[in-house]
Amino acid sequence: MTDLLILEKFISNIYPLSKEEVEIFLSVWEPFKAKRKTILTRAGDTERNLYFTTEGIQRVYYHDEMDREATIVFTYAPSFSGVADSFLTQTPSRFFAETLTPSVFLKTSFQQVDELMKQHHGIERMVRIFSNIAFAGVLERMIEIQCFTAEEKFKTLLKRSPHLLNLIPHKYIANYMGIDATNFSKLLAKVKI
Amino acid sequence: MKYLSSQLLDDLYQQTEKNISKAIIEWQRIPGHQMTTQPGPGQWSAAQCLEHLNSYGRYYLPAIEKAINRPGKPKAAVYFKSGWLGNYFYKIMLPGNDGRPKKKMRSPKDHQPSLALNAVEGLNEFISQLELLGRLLTDARDIDINNAKVPISISPFIKLKLGDVFLFFIAHLNRHMLQAERALKCAEARSVSIARREPGHSALVST
Repeated sequence: MTDLLILEKFISNIYPLSKEEVEIFLSVWEPFKAKRKTILTRAGDTERNLYFTTEGIQRVYYHDEMDREATIVFTYAPSFSGVADSFLTQTPSRFFAETLTPSVFLKTSFQQVDELMKQHHGIERMVRIFSNIAFAGVLERMIEIQCFTAEEKFKTLLKRSPHLLNLIPHKYIANYMGIDATNFSKLLAKVKI
Repeated sequence: MKYLSSQLLDDLYQQTEKNISKAIIEWQRIPGHQMTTQPGPGQWSAAQCLEHLNSYGRYYLPAIEKAINRPGKPKAAVYFKSGWLGNYFYKIMLPGNDGRPKKKMRSPKDHQPSLALNAVEGLNEFISQLELLGRLLTDARDIDINNAKVPISISPFIKLKLGDVFLFFIAHLNRHMLQAERALKCAEARSVSIARREPGHSALVST
Protein backbone atom coordinates (compact mmCIF):
# COMPACT_ATOMS: atom_id res chain seq x y z
CA MET A 1 0.00 0.00 0.00
CA THR A 2 1.36 3.42 -0.86
CA ASP A 3 1.75 5.93 1.94
CA LEU A 4 -1.11 8.07 0.63
CA LEU A 5 -3.43 5.05 0.67
CA ILE A 6 -2.44 4.39 4.29
CA LEU A 7 -3.31 8.00 5.11
CA GLU A 8 -6.60 7.76 3.22
CA LYS A 9 -7.57 4.65 5.15
CA PHE A 10 -6.53 6.29 8.41
CA ILE A 11 -8.64 9.41 7.94
CA SER A 12 -11.65 7.45 6.67
CA ASN A 13 -11.75 5.80 10.10
CA ILE A 14 -11.90 9.20 11.78
CA TYR A 15 -14.60 10.86 9.71
CA PRO A 16 -15.99 10.02 6.26
CA LEU A 17 -15.02 12.86 3.92
CA SER A 18 -16.60 13.38 0.51
CA LYS A 19 -14.63 12.04 -2.45
CA GLU A 20 -13.62 15.55 -3.43
CA GLU A 21 -12.48 16.40 0.10
CA VAL A 22 -10.41 13.21 0.32
CA GLU A 23 -8.71 14.07 -2.95
CA ILE A 24 -7.90 17.61 -1.92
CA PHE A 25 -6.76 16.57 1.56
CA LEU A 26 -4.36 13.98 0.11
CA SER A 27 -2.93 16.50 -2.37
CA VAL A 28 -1.07 18.61 0.23
CA TRP A 29 1.34 15.93 1.52
CA GLU A 30 4.93 15.25 0.51
CA PRO A 31 7.20 12.32 1.42
CA PHE A 32 9.79 12.88 4.14
CA LYS A 33 12.43 10.56 5.63
CA ALA A 34 14.51 10.95 8.78
CA LYS A 35 17.36 8.95 10.28
CA ARG A 36 17.34 7.61 13.83
CA LYS A 37 17.48 10.34 16.52
CA THR A 38 16.64 13.24 14.22
CA ILE A 39 15.09 16.22 15.99
CA LEU A 40 11.92 17.16 14.10
CA THR A 41 10.90 20.07 16.34
CA ARG A 42 12.84 21.93 19.04
CA ALA A 43 11.41 23.46 22.18
CA GLY A 44 11.01 27.18 21.54
CA ASP A 45 10.23 26.72 17.84
CA THR A 46 6.67 26.70 16.59
CA GLU A 47 5.54 23.43 15.02
CA ARG A 48 4.96 24.36 11.37
CA ASN A 49 4.54 20.80 10.12
CA LEU A 50 2.09 18.01 10.51
CA TYR A 51 3.59 14.56 10.03
CA PHE A 52 1.87 11.31 9.21
CA THR A 53 4.06 8.36 10.21
CA THR A 54 4.16 5.38 7.89
CA GLU A 55 7.34 3.78 9.28
CA GLY A 56 9.35 4.03 12.47
CA ILE A 57 8.82 5.28 16.01
CA GLN A 58 9.02 8.84 17.33
CA ARG A 59 8.55 10.54 20.67
CA VAL A 60 7.51 13.95 21.94
CA TYR A 61 9.33 14.92 25.12
CA TYR A 62 9.97 17.71 27.56
CA HIS A 63 13.57 18.51 28.48
CA ASP A 64 14.78 21.40 30.65
CA GLU A 65 18.01 23.08 31.77
CA MET A 66 18.06 20.93 34.89
CA ASP A 67 18.19 17.89 32.61
CA ARG A 68 14.74 16.78 33.66
CA GLU A 69 13.12 14.80 30.91
CA ALA A 70 9.59 13.53 30.40
CA THR A 71 8.51 11.44 27.43
CA ILE A 72 4.97 12.60 26.74
CA VAL A 73 3.95 10.32 23.90
CA PHE A 74 5.26 7.78 21.38
CA THR A 75 3.99 7.91 17.82
CA TYR A 76 4.18 5.18 15.18
CA ALA A 77 2.43 4.08 12.02
CA PRO A 78 -0.23 4.76 11.09
CA SER A 79 -0.75 8.03 12.94
CA PHE A 80 -0.13 11.75 12.93
CA SER A 81 3.07 12.94 14.57
CA GLY A 82 4.71 16.18 15.70
CA VAL A 83 3.99 18.54 18.59
CA ALA A 84 0.20 18.71 18.48
CA ASP A 85 -0.52 21.69 20.75
CA SER A 86 2.11 23.91 19.15
CA PHE A 87 0.82 22.94 15.71
CA LEU A 88 -2.84 23.63 16.49
CA THR A 89 -2.23 26.92 18.31
CA GLN A 90 0.84 28.06 16.28
CA THR A 91 2.65 29.07 19.44
CA PRO A 92 6.21 28.09 20.48
CA SER A 93 6.54 24.46 21.48
CA ARG A 94 7.49 23.48 25.01
CA PHE A 95 8.42 20.06 23.69
CA PHE A 96 10.90 18.38 21.41
CA ALA A 97 9.84 15.87 18.79
CA GLU A 98 12.41 13.33 17.61
CA THR A 99 12.68 10.03 15.77
CA LEU A 100 13.74 6.99 17.82
CA THR A 101 14.20 4.72 14.81
CA PRO A 102 14.70 5.48 11.09
CA SER A 103 11.34 6.90 10.04
CA VAL A 104 9.24 7.55 6.96
CA PHE A 105 6.52 10.20 6.93
CA LEU A 106 4.16 12.21 4.87
CA LYS A 107 4.52 15.85 5.77
CA THR A 108 2.42 18.96 5.28
CA SER A 109 2.36 22.49 6.68
CA PHE A 110 0.03 24.32 9.05
CA GLN A 111 -0.77 26.85 6.32
CA GLN A 112 -2.00 24.16 3.99
CA VAL A 113 -4.07 22.33 6.60
CA ASP A 114 -5.46 25.64 7.88
CA GLU A 115 -6.45 26.71 4.38
CA LEU A 116 -8.20 23.37 3.77
CA MET A 117 -10.03 23.61 7.07
CA LYS A 118 -11.31 27.09 6.18
CA GLN A 119 -12.55 25.96 2.78
CA HIS A 120 -13.91 22.50 3.57
CA HIS A 121 -16.25 21.92 6.45
CA GLY A 122 -15.68 18.16 6.32
CA ILE A 123 -11.90 18.54 6.69
CA GLU A 124 -12.33 20.90 9.63
CA ARG A 125 -14.66 18.39 11.25
CA MET A 126 -12.24 15.51 10.62
CA VAL A 127 -9.35 17.43 12.22
CA ARG A 128 -11.55 18.38 15.16
CA ILE A 129 -12.65 14.79 15.75
CA PHE A 130 -9.04 13.63 15.60
CA SER A 131 -8.10 16.34 18.13
CA ASN A 132 -10.89 15.07 20.39
CA ILE A 133 -9.55 11.54 20.21
CA ALA A 134 -6.03 12.80 21.00
CA PHE A 135 -7.39 14.87 23.91
CA ALA A 136 -9.22 11.85 25.31
CA GLY A 137 -5.94 9.92 25.06
CA VAL A 138 -4.12 12.59 27.09
CA LEU A 139 -6.77 12.50 29.83
CA GLU A 140 -6.60 8.72 29.96
CA ARG A 141 -2.84 8.90 30.38
CA MET A 142 -3.38 11.31 33.31
CA ILE A 143 -5.17 8.48 35.10
CA GLU A 144 -2.34 6.07 34.36
CA ILE A 145 0.29 8.53 35.60
CA GLN A 146 -1.56 9.49 38.78
CA CYS A 147 -3.12 6.21 39.86
CA PHE A 148 -1.42 3.21 38.31
CA THR A 149 1.44 1.24 39.86
CA ALA A 150 4.57 0.78 37.75
CA GLU A 151 3.45 -2.75 36.93
CA GLU A 152 0.00 -1.60 35.81
CA LYS A 153 1.55 1.14 33.67
CA PHE A 154 3.83 -1.43 32.10
CA LYS A 155 1.00 -3.84 31.35
CA THR A 156 -1.10 -1.06 29.87
CA LEU A 157 1.75 -0.01 27.63
CA LEU A 158 2.36 -3.61 26.55
CA LYS A 159 -1.28 -3.99 25.66
CA ARG A 160 -1.40 -0.73 23.71
CA SER A 161 2.03 -0.86 22.03
CA PRO A 162 3.70 -4.28 22.50
CA HIS A 163 6.12 -3.74 19.60
CA LEU A 164 7.86 -0.81 21.33
CA LEU A 165 9.68 -3.20 23.65
CA ASN A 166 11.65 -4.77 20.82
CA LEU A 167 12.25 -1.70 18.71
CA ILE A 168 13.37 1.19 20.91
CA PRO A 169 15.88 1.59 23.75
CA HIS A 170 14.20 0.68 27.03
CA LYS A 171 15.37 3.92 28.65
CA TYR A 172 12.68 5.78 26.69
CA ILE A 173 9.94 3.39 27.81
CA ALA A 174 11.15 3.69 31.42
CA ASN A 175 11.11 7.49 31.06
CA TYR A 176 7.58 7.39 29.61
CA MET A 177 6.49 5.39 32.65
CA GLY A 178 8.36 7.66 35.04
CA ILE A 179 10.61 4.95 36.53
CA ASP A 180 14.38 4.45 36.34
CA ALA A 181 15.95 2.04 33.88
CA THR A 182 17.02 -0.53 36.49
CA ASN A 183 13.51 -0.76 37.95
CA PHE A 184 12.22 -1.10 34.43
CA SER A 185 14.42 -4.12 33.80
CA LYS A 186 13.24 -5.71 37.06
CA LEU A 187 9.68 -5.18 35.88
CA LEU A 188 10.54 -6.70 32.53
CA ALA A 189 11.93 -9.82 34.23
CA LYS A 190 8.90 -10.05 36.51
CA VAL A 191 6.14 -9.51 33.96
CA LYS A 192 6.97 -12.27 31.53
CA ILE A 193 5.58 -11.59 28.12
CA MET B 1 44.32 5.16 2.22
CA LYS B 2 42.18 7.69 0.39
CA TYR B 3 38.39 7.76 0.74
CA LEU B 4 35.54 9.86 -0.59
CA SER B 5 34.64 11.68 2.64
CA SER B 6 30.86 11.48 2.27
CA GLN B 7 31.02 7.81 1.27
CA LEU B 8 33.24 6.98 4.25
CA LEU B 9 30.88 8.74 6.67
CA ASP B 10 27.88 7.02 5.06
CA ASP B 11 29.52 3.64 5.40
CA LEU B 12 30.48 4.23 9.04
CA TYR B 13 26.94 5.47 9.74
CA GLN B 14 25.46 2.30 8.23
CA GLN B 15 27.76 0.17 10.41
CA THR B 16 26.68 2.15 13.47
CA GLU B 17 23.01 1.79 12.54
CA LYS B 18 23.50 -1.97 12.21
CA ASN B 19 25.24 -2.11 15.59
CA ILE B 20 22.56 -0.10 17.38
CA SER B 21 19.81 -2.23 15.85
CA LYS B 22 21.54 -5.33 17.20
CA ALA B 23 21.90 -3.81 20.67
CA ILE B 24 18.25 -2.68 20.80
CA ILE B 25 16.47 -5.55 19.07
CA GLU B 26 18.63 -8.52 20.15
CA TRP B 27 20.59 -7.63 23.27
CA GLN B 28 17.90 -5.78 25.22
CA ARG B 29 15.91 -8.99 25.54
CA ILE B 30 18.77 -11.12 26.87
CA PRO B 31 18.54 -11.88 30.61
CA GLY B 32 21.16 -10.15 32.78
CA HIS B 33 22.77 -13.40 33.96
CA GLN B 34 23.62 -14.35 30.38
CA MET B 35 25.13 -10.93 29.76
CA THR B 36 27.47 -11.42 32.74
CA THR B 37 28.43 -15.07 32.09
CA GLN B 38 32.12 -15.49 31.26
CA PRO B 39 32.81 -18.04 28.49
CA GLY B 40 35.84 -19.32 30.44
CA PRO B 41 38.05 -18.25 33.33
CA GLY B 42 39.49 -14.81 32.62
CA GLN B 43 37.49 -14.44 29.41
CA TRP B 44 35.25 -11.40 29.19
CA SER B 45 31.48 -11.68 29.45
CA ALA B 46 29.31 -9.67 27.03
CA ALA B 47 28.71 -7.12 29.80
CA GLN B 48 32.47 -6.76 30.24
CA CYS B 49 32.95 -6.24 26.50
CA LEU B 50 30.34 -3.47 26.59
CA GLU B 51 31.88 -1.87 29.68
CA HIS B 52 35.26 -1.90 27.95
CA LEU B 53 33.67 -0.15 24.93
CA ASN B 54 31.78 2.28 27.17
CA SER B 55 35.01 3.26 28.90
CA TYR B 56 36.48 4.30 25.54
CA GLY B 57 33.25 6.01 24.48
CA ARG B 58 33.32 8.11 27.66
CA TYR B 59 36.64 9.50 26.46
CA TYR B 60 36.29 9.60 22.68
CA LEU B 61 32.70 10.72 22.11
CA PRO B 62 33.05 14.03 24.02
CA ALA B 63 36.50 14.52 22.41
CA ILE B 64 35.00 13.98 18.93
CA GLU B 65 32.09 16.30 19.75
CA LYS B 66 34.54 18.98 20.84
CA ALA B 67 36.53 18.63 17.61
CA ILE B 68 33.36 18.93 15.51
CA ASN B 69 32.04 21.97 17.39
CA ARG B 70 35.28 23.94 17.40
CA PRO B 71 34.50 27.24 15.63
CA GLY B 72 36.11 28.33 12.37
CA LYS B 73 36.70 24.90 10.84
CA PRO B 74 37.14 24.43 7.09
CA LYS B 75 34.14 23.10 5.17
CA ALA B 76 33.82 19.46 4.14
CA ALA B 77 36.54 18.19 1.77
CA VAL B 78 35.80 15.77 -1.08
CA TYR B 79 38.53 13.32 -0.09
CA PHE B 80 39.73 12.01 3.23
CA LYS B 81 43.32 10.85 3.34
CA SER B 82 44.21 8.60 6.23
CA GLY B 83 47.30 9.49 8.32
CA TRP B 84 49.95 6.74 8.79
CA LEU B 85 49.45 6.36 12.55
CA GLY B 86 45.65 6.53 12.28
CA ASN B 87 45.71 3.92 9.54
CA TYR B 88 47.95 1.70 11.70
CA PHE B 89 45.51 1.87 14.65
CA TYR B 90 42.64 1.10 12.31
CA LYS B 91 44.36 -1.88 10.69
CA ILE B 92 45.28 -3.62 13.95
CA MET B 93 41.62 -3.42 15.05
CA LEU B 94 40.32 -5.25 11.99
CA PRO B 95 39.26 -8.88 12.46
CA GLY B 96 40.64 -11.76 10.38
CA ASN B 97 38.47 -13.68 7.91
CA ASP B 98 37.11 -15.84 10.74
CA GLY B 99 35.73 -12.76 12.52
CA ARG B 100 38.27 -13.12 15.33
CA PRO B 101 40.99 -10.58 16.09
CA LYS B 102 44.20 -11.09 14.08
CA LYS B 103 46.28 -9.74 16.88
CA LYS B 104 45.59 -10.19 20.58
CA MET B 105 46.03 -7.07 22.64
CA ARG B 106 46.17 -6.42 26.32
CA SER B 107 43.76 -3.74 27.35
CA PRO B 108 45.17 -0.79 29.38
CA LYS B 109 44.41 -0.94 33.10
CA ASP B 110 41.83 1.86 33.12
CA HIS B 111 39.87 0.11 30.39
CA GLN B 112 39.82 -3.31 32.10
CA PRO B 113 36.21 -4.04 33.00
CA SER B 114 35.47 -5.40 36.47
CA LEU B 115 33.46 -8.58 36.98
CA ALA B 116 30.76 -6.97 39.09
CA LEU B 117 28.73 -5.13 36.49
CA ASN B 118 25.15 -4.02 36.18
CA ALA B 119 24.33 -5.51 32.77
CA VAL B 120 21.25 -3.32 32.28
CA GLU B 121 22.99 -0.03 33.03
CA GLY B 122 25.92 -1.05 30.84
CA LEU B 123 23.70 -1.86 27.87
CA ASN B 124 21.69 1.36 28.32
CA GLU B 125 24.87 3.39 28.31
CA PHE B 126 26.14 1.49 25.29
CA ILE B 127 22.97 2.23 23.33
CA SER B 128 23.10 5.92 24.33
CA GLN B 129 26.71 6.09 23.15
CA LEU B 130 25.80 4.57 19.78
CA GLU B 131 22.96 7.08 19.41
CA LEU B 132 25.46 9.87 20.03
CA LEU B 133 27.99 8.33 17.64
CA GLY B 134 25.33 8.28 14.89
CA ARG B 135 24.63 11.97 15.44
CA LEU B 136 28.34 12.84 15.41
CA LEU B 137 28.84 10.96 12.13
CA THR B 138 25.98 13.02 10.69
CA ASP B 139 27.33 16.33 12.05
CA ALA B 140 30.81 15.51 10.70
CA ARG B 141 29.48 15.70 7.14
CA ASP B 142 29.63 19.50 7.32
CA ILE B 143 33.31 19.76 8.27
CA ASP B 144 36.70 18.68 6.92
CA ILE B 145 37.50 15.39 8.68
CA ASN B 146 41.16 15.77 7.58
CA ASN B 147 41.48 19.05 9.39
CA ALA B 148 39.57 18.33 12.61
CA LYS B 149 41.87 16.56 15.10
CA VAL B 150 41.20 14.48 18.19
CA PRO B 151 43.82 13.72 20.89
CA ILE B 152 44.07 9.96 21.51
CA SER B 153 43.30 8.41 24.88
CA ILE B 154 46.82 7.15 25.67
CA SER B 155 48.49 10.51 25.02
CA PRO B 156 46.90 13.96 24.74
CA PHE B 157 49.97 15.07 22.75
CA ILE B 158 49.18 12.75 19.86
CA LYS B 159 46.32 14.03 17.76
CA LEU B 160 44.76 12.07 14.91
CA LYS B 161 42.53 13.19 12.07
CA LEU B 162 38.85 12.92 12.94
CA GLY B 163 38.32 10.54 9.99
CA ASP B 164 40.96 8.15 11.39
CA VAL B 165 39.47 8.35 14.88
CA PHE B 166 36.03 7.42 13.52
CA LEU B 167 37.60 4.53 11.57
CA PHE B 168 39.48 2.94 14.46
CA PHE B 169 36.81 3.75 17.06
CA ILE B 170 34.19 1.92 15.01
CA ALA B 171 36.56 -0.94 14.12
CA HIS B 172 37.21 -1.29 17.86
CA LEU B 173 33.44 -1.35 18.49
CA ASN B 174 32.96 -4.05 15.87
CA ARG B 175 35.83 -6.08 17.34
CA HIS B 176 34.36 -6.22 20.83
CA MET B 177 30.75 -6.53 19.68
CA LEU B 178 31.82 -9.71 17.87
CA GLN B 179 33.55 -10.85 21.07
CA ALA B 180 30.35 -10.09 23.04
CA GLU B 181 28.38 -12.18 20.52
CA ARG B 182 30.71 -15.13 21.07
CA ALA B 183 30.40 -14.75 24.85
CA LEU B 184 26.60 -14.66 24.55
CA LYS B 185 26.58 -17.84 22.44
CA CYS B 186 28.59 -19.63 25.14
CA ALA B 187 26.35 -18.27 27.90
CA GLU B 188 23.23 -19.37 26.06
CA ALA B 189 24.58 -22.85 25.29
CA ARG B 190 25.59 -23.27 28.93
CA SER B 191 22.26 -22.17 30.38
CA VAL B 192 20.43 -24.52 28.02
CA SER B 193 22.68 -27.47 28.93
CA ILE B 194 22.35 -26.84 32.68
CA ALA B 195 18.59 -26.59 32.35
CA ARG B 196 18.56 -29.93 30.49
CA ARG B 197 20.75 -31.69 32.98
CA GLU B 198 18.88 -30.47 36.02
CA PRO B 199 15.34 -29.76 34.97
CA GLY B 200 14.27 -29.55 38.59
CA HIS B 201 16.79 -26.80 39.31
CA SER B 202 16.30 -24.61 36.28
CA ALA B 203 15.24 -21.81 38.61
CA LEU B 204 18.84 -21.66 39.82
CA VAL B 205 19.99 -20.74 36.33
CA SER B 206 17.95 -17.63 36.13
CA THR B 207 19.01 -16.10 39.43
